[in-house]
Amino acid sequence: MLSTSFSALAAEIEQASSWLSALSQSLKTRNFSTSFVVIKNNHAEPYHWFHGVDETGKELEILSLLNGPRRDVLRKNNIVGYIEPELPPYSVKTFQMSGGPIPAIFSGDITALEKSYNFISLGKSRVLGRSAQIIRIVSKDDNRFGYRLWLDQDSSMLLKMSVITREGNVLEQVQFTHLEFSTDLPEPLKKLQAADMPPVIDVPESTVNNDLHWKVNWLPNGFKKIRSNYHRLSITKQATEFLLFSDGLVDVSVYINKSSVNHRAAEFVMNGATGVFNQVVKGIEVSVVGKIPATTAKSIADSVSLLSFNKKR
Amino acid sequence: MSEKKFETVSSCVDDVIIHDESIDEIIKDKELSDTWGRYQLMGDIMRNDVPQTLQLDLSAKIAAAIDDEPTVLAPKNTAKSESSFKARIINFVKPLGQVAIAASAAGLMVLGVQQNNVSQTNDIAPMQNIQTNPLIGIAEPVSFNYQQPTQMSKKQAYIQQQRRLQALLFDHKQQIKLTAINTAEIKKANSPVIIPLKDKVENLPK
Repeated sequence: MLSTSFSALAAEIEQASSWLSALSQSLKTRNFSTSFVVIKNNHAEPYHWFHGVDETGKELEILSLLNGPRRDVLRKNNIVGYIEPELPPYSVKTFQMSGGPIPAIFSGDITALEKSYNFISLGKSRVLGRSAQIIRIVSKDDNRFGYRLWLDQDSSMLLKMSVITREGNVLEQVQFTHLEFSTDLPEPLKKLQAADMPPVIDVPESTVNNDLHWKVNWLPNGFKKIRSNYHRLSITKQATEFLLFSDGLVDVSVYINKSSVNHRAAEFVMNGATGVFNQVVKGIEVSVVGKIPATTAKSIADSVSLLSFNKKR
Repeated sequence: MSEKKFETVSSCVDDVIIHDESIDEIIKDKELSDTWGRYQLMGDIMRNDVPQTLQLDLSAKIAAAIDDEPTVLAPKNTAKSESSFKARIINFVKPLGQVAIAASAAGLMVLGVQQNNVSQTNDIAPMQNIQTNPLIGIAEPVSFNYQQPTQMSKKQAYIQQQRRLQALLFDHKQQIKLTAINTAEIKKANSPVIIPLKDKVENLPK
């Protein structure tokens, strides 16, 4: 009895993970024109998203925010350009559009998330007038949010996505409002083909900086350091040590700097699922930003300690 | 003119929910409505939203147009021998009331436009209860209200908190974009797609 229910579960996980592989295959290989809205903080942000593969096999992609000042992400194969109001347009050499509402890993190797998350198939539903398969991505521990995906039964394309807390509260939602596949490249991508990309900026290859004075001693399982450096926040001009961690799905930034005050109580605010945590303890300001619960952010901040010099070498 | 009132105008422009009375107050006060108009224009210019021909003083034009109206419609006050004092009040009150209506109509239109832009400001702002003041402030200079030092320092702390948290959120988003390189390296190792590799070869120094 036990073994049959276990194998049923195993089969379900197997099924969920093949759905996710099919999703990433669709996102990488198909020509599509989509619209979706991101719902968070009682606001809806509308986007257009186009993807296509040209005759030579190179991927083209456009993601545009439709309200407010222009905020576009353009991708020509290995160059991703950002057009946004805060900075002059720039490009980065990379194969993925990062920082968008849909995690970049969805078009990469989703199964790499298996270390930290379970995939569970939850049956069927109807979304965007289509029959949809519901897949849950559940954290193996209590330190992360969960994701729920609705995938098109026919194409495995993403139709809807929710970021939810352990208690089941929805923090952020992506709802597709239009989805169209084509054999030809969508029109905007043809224009992109002819267009020049913004200048490529150099991001130092060796991204791990050894001159930092602080280290983070605790992170949820599966988080790895992606890069670290010392820079100034562009808005406040505050100089700060910076470490970026990722578990593949979630990015977490940690900022550590000296503060002008000796103590400040912990502050935590959320923008959709993205939390910003900040506290000053003994004159040291530690901030944690990312799509993680407040308790996780606090534990990460509390674990920060000075690197002893002999260890640092 | 107290700074408090200008603050109300400012927060009204910023879409912070305020009471109807505050809007009425703005509408009734010539100086405040002018300030309102200028703030809106500043906002439009910042959004690159300025029409081809600038109607710089639309509210005044509407008011003037309505001023002309009652000369046809209004009953003759001069006929009655009521106290000239009351008559004067009627004369004074009437046009002003009509200006108020016109201006509030204009106000509603502007509010509507503002609401459409909510999501844009929200993008770099933490939760509603934190996000109110813009980064480049139209907020009043903090030093003005020296009578209430505690309240001001509280407000100052609040503005600083917002600025600090917004700065962190903004930087986090920027850093993620730059970091794409690294995660792409990992992805490349795992993914069976050949295209990237080919391109990599093309880009090698010769």
